[in-house]
Amino acid sequence: MEKENIAPHVKDITRALGNKVSEANIERELNSYLTVYRVPLGTAKRSIVKKHGGNPSLLSLGAQKTIVDLTPNEFSVDLLARVVSVNEREIEVEGVSKTILYGIFGDSTGTVPFTAWEADAMDVEKGDVVKIQNAYTKEFRGEVQLNLGNRTSVEKESPDALPPYVPPERPATSVELGDLRGGMSNVSVVGRIISIESREVNVEGQKKTVFSGLIGDSTGKAQFSAWADFELREGDVAKIDGGYSKTWRGMPQLGFDQRANVEILKDTDFPSAEDIMSPVRRWIEEIAERGGAVDATVRGILIDVKEGSGLIFRCPECNRVLRKGTCRIHGEVDGTPDLRVKAVIDDGSAALTAILGKDITEGLLGKSLKDCMDTAKEAMSHEVIRDELADLLVAQPVELRGNVTSDDYGLMMISESAEVLEIDVQEEAQKLLSDLEE
Amino acid sequence: MRREVAWRVFAKEYSDSDFQFSEGGERSPSYVVTPLGAKINRLFVVGVITDIDNVGSDDQPMWRARLSDPTGVYVLSAGLYQPEAARTLSGIEPPTFAAVMGKTRVYSPEEGTLYLSIRPEIVSVANDAVRNYWTLECCRSLRTRLDAVAEAFKMDPLTKEGLVALGHSERIADGIVRAVDHYGTVDLDRYRLMLVDALKYLLPESRPAPPEEKDEEEESELDEYVLELIGKLDTDGKGADWETLLEASKKDGVQKDDLEQTVNSLLDNGRAYEPVIGKLKRI
Repeated sequence: MEKENIAPHVKDITRALGNKVSEANIERELNSYLTVYRVPLGTAKRSIVKKHGGNPSLLSLGAQKTIVDLTPNEFSVDLLARVVSVNEREIEVEGVSKTILYGIFGDSTGTVPFTAWEADAMDVEKGDVVKIQNAYTKEFRGEVQLNLGNRTSVEKESPDALPPYVPPERPATSVELGDLRGGMSNVSVVGRIISIESREVNVEGQKKTVFSGLIGDSTGKAQFSAWADFELREGDVAKIDGGYSKTWRGMPQLGFDQRANVEILKDTDFPSAEDIMSPVRRWIEEIAERGGAVDATVRGILIDVKEGSGLIFRCPECNRVLRKGTCRIHGEVDGTPDLRVKAVIDDGSAALTAILGKDITEGLLGKSLKDCMDTAKEAMSHEVIRDELADLLVAQPVELRGNVTSDDYGLMMISESAEVLEIDVQEEAQKLLSDLEE
Repeated sequence: MRREVAWRVFAKEYSDSDFQFSEGGERSPSYVVTPLGAKINRLFVVGVITDIDNVGSDDQPMWRARLSDPTGVYVLSAGLYQPEAARTLSGIEPPTFAAVMGKTRVYSPEEGTLYLSIRPEIVSVANDAVRNYWTLECCRSLRTRLDAVAEAFKMDPLTKEGLVALGHSERIADGIVRAVDHYGTVDLDRYRLMLVDALKYLLPESRPAPPEEKDEEEESELDEYVLELIGKLDTDGKGADWETLLEASKKDGVQKDDLEQTVNSLLDNGRAYEPVIGKLKRI
């Protein structure tokens, strides 16, 4: 950083420290942080103030940044930006209603969503160029967000301080549905509408019709939500330009609205709905990388029948599984019996937890819930059903199908079907052997 | 925190390893890296438990078991902190097929010496079919890594990104880069041979033939047929010629092996004898 650029920051630090330390010292220190240790300016300033026993929140001059450089959890961010959009919202803070502003700032490098917590201190309109000082950033849904708090100052600048904002004309990125991940924007997909239905939703007090369903191509399937009526019908092959994706219930989901361009293709070669819905086996590792999957088929070894499998009892109020006859919320209750398997499936590439419901469990056991109740009564233990399941399933190759969601604890599949596989090991071994000898 | 994958790796490859690492940090897992780049924290193995001993005391048992697969032997040890596995092991009588999920366990009495075993989390009794399927999975895993390591040896410089660009997963690529860094160029042919042997192990024609059990009725029919043929061909009273017998029976669709076997049994039973070598006579 040039010497003349560093001077205001040296002054800022010295002031924050109540002029207890000489500017010359601060300058030397700041220089060392920036040039020797190469610490970002904001961090360097906070660190110096702290080191001298000061309060970093007294710093008022942040490092002026461009939007593309913003990272989460930055303090004292300064920006020169244009207001791309601004809206009001009522929120309730400790029972008191309060108005905040939210919208988007842009500069030549990009855009960033913002929230201004003190609406009164900010009188700006769409198109204004503003100089923002001492804002801070957070991460929200995987994106950087700018926050303007009570120490942030916002000044209007001349409108020609920045070139007018022109939304970037970028070609949409072509994505196959199997590669869709949460948090993508401006994507282009081609898929067949497997199912679609409309429903009314309430968005910020306004009634809206959303069209949602399942879309698929040869690589995968995804839930979609269309926020405008593109007259899509079941069976259509649609090219959607300008969609976006987000993670919903642990799976990537496609969204698009009136800004998107939707075209119905007369593509006779496109895989039929039947082909798209026929099971395609995926490696669990692949599903993990994609952050979940809609209607995936996996094949692996069932390596564990976890605690909470077998004959269980649910709270009649909230359906939670009881522990020792007690619901976490409703206390001691008369539980409703149910059957399930909580299994760990490992295919050698990764593992997932699969939940198999009552019908599948009954099928695997070859006996009904009532039979299981009788067995348990006779054995005077509910655990006997879990043991039976473990004897039957542990170490067996299985094939499961269902939606896979992803969170911090890993992958979870709610299985729609499950079967123990009978594999012709000799045939497979022969194939592998001839393959090797080629 | 992601669950660690359970590797399917043959005992031989596992026991060839002498490299362990941890990414640092108090709770980060440690891994054993095999010469072919399997980066193992957890394993799933199926084989035959051949012996089990309590190497602890009666009060605090520590079960040590040996589990053999087509390539070698895994050592399992389960004690106080693996109650479920210990309980199952204590009830097993060798030989028994068993499926084991567990974590790598490394004992290093001195620098450079590693004793590898498995600390089982789950032990369950299995069967032949489960063992065979596991063996197949091990072969597949081995095959993938053999190919990847062969490619890695050709790369200069070898990087994880380079391997990923060739289509290998992050997980495989990371393990291989670490393995090559530690072990250098290993002899892949040795492992290729192991792979072929393991595959042949799964194929019936390559297995040592079990003693053939023939239908008893069929056997006696063949006995009678050969005996009659010997009588018919013994035209000069000096016995039937072996070569003529062979030819005649061949015409009737009898295999040479079967003929030899039948003749031997006739000789053993004392229903025929060899007056001179190459001649056969009914008794």
